[in-house]
Amino acid sequence: MSLLLQLVANGLLLGGAFAIISIGLTLIFGVVRVVNFAHGEFLMVGMYVAWLCASRLGLHPYAAVPIVVVFLFVMGAAMQRYVIQSLLSADAHIQVFATVGISTALLNLALLMFGADIRKVEFAFGNQNLSIGSLTFVSGQVITFVVAIVVAFAMHFYLTRTYTGRAFRALAQNRTAAALMGVDVNKTYVFAFGIGAALVGIASCLLTLQYPVFPTVGTYFVLTAFVIVVLGGMGSLPGAVIGSMFIGLIDSLAGFYVGPDLKEVVYFVIFLVILIVRPTGLFGLGRGSE
Amino acid sequence: MLKALRRVAASLGIAFTLVGAPAHAQELKLGALYPFSGGLALLGDESFRGVQLAVDERNAAGGINGRQITLVKADAVDASQAVGEARRLTSVEKVAAVFGSYASGISQAATQVTELAGVPYFELGATADTITGRGFKYLFRVNPTAKNIGDRTLEGLVKVVAPMLKVDPKTLKLAIIHEDGPYGSLVAAAQKEGAAKLGIPVVEVQAYSAKTVDLSSVILRLKGAGADVVLHTAYQNDAVLFFRQAAAAGYKPKAVIGGGGGYSLADTAQAVGAPIEGVYDVDFPQITMNAAGAPGLGDFVAAYQKKFSSAPRSGHSLANYVGAKAMLEVLARAKSTDKDKIRDAALAYRAAVGSTAAGWGIQFNETGQNTAATLNLMQWQQGKLVTVFPEAVANAKPIASN
Repeated sequence: MSLLLQLVANGLLLGGAFAIISIGLTLIFGVVRVVNFAHGEFLMVGMYVAWLCASRLGLHPYAAVPIVVVFLFVMGAAMQRYVIQSLLSADAHIQVFATVGISTALLNLALLMFGADIRKVEFAFGNQNLSIGSLTFVSGQVITFVVAIVVAFAMHFYLTRTYTGRAFRALAQNRTAAALMGVDVNKTYVFAFGIGAALVGIASCLLTLQYPVFPTVGTYFVLTAFVIVVLGGMGSLPGAVIGSMFIGLIDSLAGFYVGPDLKEVVYFVIFLVILIVRPTGLFGLGRGSE
Repeated sequence: MLKALRRVAASLGIAFTLVGAPAHAQELKLGALYPFSGGLALLGDESFRGVQLAVDERNAAGGINGRQITLVKADAVDASQAVGEARRLTSVEKVAAVFGSYASGISQAATQVTELAGVPYFELGATADTITGRGFKYLFRVNPTAKNIGDRTLEGLVKVVAPMLKVDPKTLKLAIIHEDGPYGSLVAAAQKEGAAKLGIPVVEVQAYSAKTVDLSSVILRLKGAGADVVLHTAYQNDAVLFFRQAAAAGYKPKAVIGGGGGYSLADTAQAVGAPIEGVYDVDFPQITMNAAGAPGLGDFVAAYQKKFSSAPRSGHSLANYVGAKAMLEVLARAKSTDKDKIRDAALAYRAAVGSTAAGWGIQFNETGQNTAATLNLMQWQQGKLVTVFPEAVANAKPIASN
């Protein structure tokens, strides 16, 4: 029984890490309607910035959040303004190729600048082993989990209660109609992309404590993040969070009971079944919203 | 008609060779096919440096039968690019032989092309057993294979690790975990087979994707099974993840033996931190081993230092240097670039174990595999990877893990 509890706890905590990555991705997906294949590399860039802050300035990654968030916001906004915006009226697959190109460029830039070596930050805070009864946790995982939930709620309020948030949702529903209602389409897109990237910035600071930093680290997370976003319903924040927990749990339970080499098979099968039953994902907005 | 055409083509061919011959008389072109960009670039380049040093050394000593060697670099990031680059080397550059390739997937693909083209391929680093298991005639591999790694792991367990723990190896419960690519799977399969042969119980065999971000469930299984010794074949990220999550789960095996890869790299040790102390690792010879069993090691390190202004970044350059040096000698003895003469020279070439800078001997069998290449059992001691077995090349005594 305590074993099962430990597996569930591990799964949920892993889900926390996935959630913080997926929230930004689903926002970009949902608002800008661009499949951002460079998302994993954004994470990687954020982790390198956090690592640089730690190794050069001695900043704890949690304290580096403002720096990394601003850095990634600018990067995301610039990518939207100078790459995606000029392709907005082009075919969707052209935009996809553009993001794939940026992803490859960033990955190789990191290889060029930092080499393929793995880097790690050493801080005690965020790496303590905690235990409740027979259950064991790492403090950083718990913090990641809590931050993911808080960020998801904050974003939810932002989207439903503020003018820009409503503009995001209006754009998501119908770009032309939103423009007619006075939403500055280009500006809002730039802002939304920036926010999506900034959220990855938070994720990278949290994860830098738990995972080593290397050029391909983004690719380790991003496929799962895509699955989660589609599973939860593109553009849906609650969907991203619940999808993350779901995938985290499957990862942990299937990894133990089925075998670690087959856990992906298990969650892809479940993913396919859900898509067959509900093509728009768990919290998708229904037909027509992709 | 066809015959006539063929005759014209043949005479044209002769004409080309005649025209081409004088210009190339003084140089011998050899290909070097490695991943020079992409994710494998670091160790691909490190491997190439070994070849470069062997070629420089040979050229300084007069080249091969009076001909200076020119290396033609080919960048093979993955299997499909390896095919393209191997074609370029054999048909455009017309190299006499190709050195490669660091990664097994790249080697598998490139050798298929060179074999068909009838250009000898000298493999100096890829470990998958299947590379030499395909009946190719012009493929020679100097380095040891994944199976050798598995065998040496078990030998090290019996001769070094169990005595250090002061127990009979048969009472130790083994767990084998590995990344599920060809490298991890082949090493693990050899370890499993070796353990069965020796009658050492294996309680868990777990494969996982090298791209995993969570090994907690694997660790819970090992903990549940009470595994004493973990044989782990991993890359860097998963090796780091293992130690970190094992500590979090309160799992402390009596010994961990890595199977090369991530376990041999100083970065991994640094990222793992204190728990790496006392961890064993079976891999290709490293430059830190005892030069008494590896004559020429000191000269290699000095030459490397001189050319690249840094110490070798890993043992890959050494293995490739030794392999390339041996194969250059084979080319010299063949006295020709004819593929069959090279094969005969390779099969006839002999060097005793302990006579090269890696401590290896050279003796190719019919499949082209060198049967005298050895692996070393090493251990992380105070942040350094020292060699503890075999004794001829050992530079430190094993310590009990903390």
